[in-house]
Amino acid sequence: MIILVFMQPVAKLAAQDTQILGFVAAEMFYQDETLNFGIGEQDLFITSRLNDNFSFLGETVFKFSPNSPTDFNVSVERIIVSYNYKGNHNILFGKHHTPINYWNDAYHHGRVFFPTIGRPLLFMADFIPIHTTGIAFQGLNLGDLRFGYNLMIGNGLGSTDVEENNKAKSVTALLNIKPWDGWHLGAAAYRDVISAGSVVHGRLIPNKTTQSLFTGTAAYFGQKFELLAESTLALNDVTGSSRTNSYASYVYAGLRLNEKVVPYIRLDNLQYDSGEQFFDNEDTTSIIAGFRYEVNYLIVLKMEYQYTDRDISGSSSLLNTQVAIGF
Amino acid sequence: MRMNCKIIIALIALFVAGCIPAVGQGMQLNIVGNPQSVPAKMDIDQLKTILKGEKLRWDDGVSVKIALMKTNTSIGSYTCERIFNMSTNELNKYFLAQVFQGKVKAPNFFTSKSELEEYVARTPGAIGVSQNTAENDGEIKLIVIDGRKQL
Repeated sequence: MIILVFMQPVAKLAAQDTQILGFVAAEMFYQDETLNFGIGEQDLFITSRLNDNFSFLGETVFKFSPNSPTDFNVSVERIIVSYNYKGNHNILFGKHHTPINYWNDAYHHGRVFFPTIGRPLLFMADFIPIHTTGIAFQGLNLGDLRFGYNLMIGNGLGSTDVEENNKAKSVTALLNIKPWDGWHLGAAAYRDVISAGSVVHGRLIPNKTTQSLFTGTAAYFGQKFELLAESTLALNDVTGSSRTNSYASYVYAGLRLNEKVVPYIRLDNLQYDSGEQFFDNEDTTSIIAGFRYEVNYLIVLKMEYQYTDRDISGSSSLLNTQVAIGF
Repeated sequence: MRMNCKIIIALIALFVAGCIPAVGQGMQLNIVGNPQSVPAKMDIDQLKTILKGEKLRWDDGVSVKIALMKTNTSIGSYTCERIFNMSTNELNKYFLAQVFQGKVKAPNFFTSKSELEEYVARTPGAIGVSQNTAENDGEIKLIVIDGRKQL
């Protein structure tokens, strides 16, 4: 009887159905005539089914930070409570990957999934808001076209994960279809009003700015070919100045030679309006050529060469190798 | 005498090799479902959609629970090839990616077909892939796919 009483919480825990996964990567790269070794982010990923309607997803990253006394910081990347209210329709609360483009939604911190070693340049340039804390209304795989939607309302740029810094809410709207196996076509829009004096990506925004982002996505991941192309147009309307139009794009293409080996290329381009004040105003082009060796779905090796040409700081080359694992 | 021995050994080797089935060779899969909520028949495209986790609930609102044999079993390996048109590695990668995106709940994987069928029998809304399943007293039902009970 006593044993049965003590067994009960264990049984409840088992019924809760919690899974823990992790992702990590290590790199070795040659740049400026120096060979470097580095460890990447360690990503702890937890999912839990709470009952038939509610589920939880959490993602926490441990990463190098020179300003930390221990050299590492803990970063909460996602905390999502999902409520499946009907069919394939969900309401999501919490901190999300902003559904503004495919890469941000599909890969983010799981480098074992990345088709290349690193993210496209538009991420490094802070071109899109990577996270949004708020509420989302999501539909998945609806009808023959496997239509999907996501309408997200959340704290805007300059706010934090615990409170908003002004009355304006950021709004993200995403529509996509998957008409054939392996295909994904999508379009998304984002709008936010950023208050004067806000700090966004470590940069002080001196004037009130209305930002609108528009993204288009075409992706195909088949058994032979892989293609991922995304382009974002950013319209920044700064009070007292004219509106600026800046663009960020990338195209990835891979050819699967067999189950394990995929040579690939990626082209990135950042094109800023001459009057751009919101981003670092430096036009940049980059080309990557490399190959991926998938030992299995949990161990992926990549080697690539990247040439980057920046308008102001000039050109640079990088030879990089990475081993990414899931565990 | 030595020649006879060689012939006998070769015949035995051929017999033994013939007795070992290649993965998937002659294998017939059954789609099994819990009597509650799971429809009695569907087409192969609907089945693929369901087993890939793209349908979250049945028409009566009960959530879909997927039961598959582990991909390192012969049934699991043949399921990948026959139903998903993927390698075992591709299937594992697919579900890992979908779970990471928060869009699909991972299937329940089993090491024996009796465990899988027991899970399907006691779990409303469960659907799974098994082999040589007998319908038993309403606890589990065989789903007809494109007019056939075997794939």
